[in-house]
Amino acid sequence: MTRDQEKAVLDLVTNPPPGSELARAKEFGVDLTLFISTLRRTPTERARSLSEGSRIFKIAKQTLLNER
Amino acid sequence: MKLEETIRILYDAGVEFVVIGGAAMGLQGSAHLTRDIDFCYARTAKNMDRLAKALEPFHPVLRGAPPDLPFRFDAKTIGNGLNFTMTTDLGDLDFLGEVSGLGPFQDVLAASDMKSVGGVECRVLSLEGLIKSKIAAGRPRDLYVLPELRGLNEVKKKTGLE
Repeated sequence: MTRDQEKAVLDLVTNPPPGSELARAKEFGVDLTLFISTLRRTPTERARSLSEGSRIFKIAKQTLLNER
Repeated sequence: MKLEETIRILYDAGVEFVVIGGAAMGLQGSAHLTRDIDFCYARTAKNMDRLAKALEPFHPVLRGAPPDLPFRFDAKTIGNGLNFTMTTDLGDLDFLGEVSGLGPFQDVLAASDMKSVGGVECRVLSLEGLIKSKIAAGRPRDLYVLPELRGLNEVKKKTGLE
């Protein structure tokens, strides 16, 4: 992501244009600021992040099951 | 779930596939997490044989089925079925012969983007394709992600981001 693109994303997610899909998503409850970090990553970094998220979820689930 | 590794294994085996579902959402920039990886695969004899051989070392079994249920994920089994939800040593993997709202593999392929994941050029369902498939699937969990996907799609279109 270039600096200009990063600035454009920041502008869009902090001030979604009225009537836009972004405005509707914000109204729905989507945290648009997460787009800044996810879009900054490369697809490889996104794949690693997904795998790590899944690993942490599995550990958390197992921990909860063990506590029962 | 080992997304990068699974993509490389399928790519190295010459399997024709498109990453779909939650993994595709993540690769396109969604912040949603997923526990399994969904793929759409080409239902040609050669591809089904390659897919079966690629997964064999990772002990695929039907997810949620009784452990004593005889199951062998080979080209014949794939040919006789369509969609397979499996647990493997690579994690939970789902292989679909077609995607709701899009159709069979060639239509899913046409609705995909090329992404480089760990140095492998692979096909990932586009945001437009994901939106179409989620609307067609129509389950609450599919409809729930639509606002995020539409917002993300708008950001990408307005900024020229991949």
